[in-house]
Amino acid sequence: MSDIVLELKNVNRVFGQGDTKVQALDNVTFSVKRGEFLLIVGSSGSGKSTLLNMIGLLDKPSSGQVFIDGTNTTKLSDNKISAFRNSKLGFIFQFSNLLADLTVLENVMLPRNIQRTDQNAQKQAIELLRSVGLENQMHKRANKVSGGQAQRAAIARGLINHPAIVLADEPTGNLDSVTAETVIQLMKSMAKKLNQTFVIVTHDRHQFGEVDRIITIKDGRAFEGEDVPPKMELTV
Amino acid sequence: MDYRVQLAKRMLSNKKGSLIGAVLAVSIGILVIHVNFVIFQGLYDAIVRDLSSYRFGDVLVTDEESFITKSDIFLVNWFERIPYVEAATPRVQSSAAINVTKNGKLIEEFRVPVIGVDPFRDPRVSTAHETVTDGQYVFSRNSVVVGSRVVSDLGNIKVGDSLQIKITDRRGEDQIRRFIVTGIVTSPGGQGLDSEIIMHIDSLRDMLDRDGETGEILVKLNDPDKASDVKNYFLRTFPNDEFKAETIEESAEAALSGFRSGIAMINMIGYFGMMSSAFAVVTIQMMLVSSKTREVGVMRAIGAKRKDILIIFIVQGMMIGALGAGLGTAMGLGYTFYAKETKMTFAGSIPLEVSYDWEKVIQTALMAFSLAVIASIYPSYKATKLQPVEAMRYV
Ligand SMILES: Nc1ncnc2c1ncn2[C@@H]1O[C@H](COP(=O)(O)OP(=O)(O)O)[C@@H](O)[C@H]1O
Ligand SMILES: [Mg+2]
Repeated sequence: MSDIVLELKNVNRVFGQGDTKVQALDNVTFSVKRGEFLLIVGSSGSGKSTLLNMIGLLDKPSSGQVFIDGTNTTKLSDNKISAFRNSKLGFIFQFSNLLADLTVLENVMLPRNIQRTDQNAQKQAIELLRSVGLENQMHKRANKVSGGQAQRAAIARGLINHPAIVLADEPTGNLDSVTAETVIQLMKSMAKKLNQTFVIVTHDRHQFGEVDRIITIKDGRAFEGEDVPPKMELTV
Repeated sequence: MDYRVQLAKRMLSNKKGSLIGAVLAVSIGILVIHVNFVIFQGLYDAIVRDLSSYRFGDVLVTDEESFITKSDIFLVNWFERIPYVEAATPRVQSSAAINVTKNGKLIEEFRVPVIGVDPFRDPRVSTAHETVTDGQYVFSRNSVVVGSRVVSDLGNIKVGDSLQIKITDRRGEDQIRRFIVTGIVTSPGGQGLDSEIIMHIDSLRDMLDRDGETGEILVKLNDPDKASDVKNYFLRTFPNDEFKAETIEESAEAALSGFRSGIAMINMIGYFGMMSSAFAVVTIQMMLVSSKTREVGVMRAIGAKRKDILIIFIVQGMMIGALGAGLGTAMGLGYTFYAKETKMTFAGSIPLEVSYDWEKVIQTALMAFSLAVIASIYPSYKATKLQPVEAMRYV
């Protein structure tokens, strides 16, 4: 198995045409190693979510390629992409991650049930819920738990299929700073414990403290590190 | 349980309002069809029942041209030897003129149909004797029973009055005789012999100068489904007598053909009602789908295929259909049971002949179920078209 879990090659994403044309991603190229805890930062509207949607196969690049775990995903059919998302990716969104009609436990089991290979699904889900500290909440309906608990359940759900990458778009954007801190620590400790790759989008870099790597997005372009090169600043 | 079925069930049970609305729409569609059936098929069957029991029996035998000359006792005995036959009875029909006089002065002459019955055999075939509301049924040669409508036409005659009846015999000569009124008949819904005068069959034969002749033989069966068999057996046994034999469906045809197209019309209206229930299901399912936009987005993101989303909402449609069909059928059968137990009447007169048509009950339930599922196809398809990114943009 290669050490590279994610590779973007010249990814462009253009919304609209003519006057309303927006270049949301501009020739983005980078790769991510297994086990990396990667932060994607940038101001609002810079293209972070668009980039994460590319990696999450929720949207297709206008041009360029996305390789996940060595597979070029650009040409996959809708069904293949669904299966790919299910087995290779875990998702944590900002809001209402969980299905309100199910219990916390059922939500965590859902990716496994969708896969229809539900051996041990319940056992593993309970184990994960224990490790995110939700063992006492798991039979509650998902809309009856707090925002922080919902995010922790989403982390457990994101991990249950042992994905190549866990993706999170502003996972703490909806939480108070204390709760945000515990959720961030949880992601970090899970990443370390499981050697799990995380790609996390945030506009608040400081909440996260020490991380393996940072990519900054500005006007759709990706830069290694926390700072945009001065040359770039000048041209803006 | 499959997670899609589980989700469908939870989504529905967490949206009680929509669920109840959709289930009621389906079940009311079914109820309307049941009510229509009870009333209109019940009325139709009541008319057939009354025509059979008052006038035609299950099988009616006449002569192709004139009167039956074969012995009525012979024919009745012949029929009664068949195991399916409960009883048979001869009748003669004619028409009479009755003078209405006041203070000895002739006011009016009425023409009234007359039926001659065998006082001993007729009650075993026809329920006409049960419609006597005053006095008793025909029992002797000089007594008559008068229908209630004739009574009021003649100016309120009473039991015990005498009535002068004029009948033209086979040679064209008027025969006049006096009879004692021994009874008055009024049938529920006026379907019986309310417009007739009923007398002893031999008195009428006498006046017509047709001794030993018979107008018709009414045959009552203990199994009405065997009417055609009995009729055909009879016609085969007497090929040279120019008999005419008809089952009740045939003899009642003239009275019922218009009614049947009316029923077809009413059924059409019922099915249109069902169609509008289906449109209600479409609307409610569209609402359910759009309220689950975000959930669908999350499911798609974590790997649910289009097909899975389709299945979730189609299964919802099946649940709505099954609950609606169950409830509607229960309500319909409840109404049918009520109508039967309370001996419901049509417009307060004819007692409806209420029956359970299980084939139709099942057919209606299946149709309602299928319509609910079909109605879910478009909303479910719409749900599969939701793109995960789009779906999650709505917060
Ligand atoms: N579906 C879309 N249609 C049109 N423009 C879009 C769409 N999605 C994003 N954009 C545009 O692309 C740019 C980047 O958006 P986004 O990736 O959401 O930014 P961020 O997540 O960094 O705040 C913005 O200018 C936004 O308006
Ligand atoms: Mg964003």
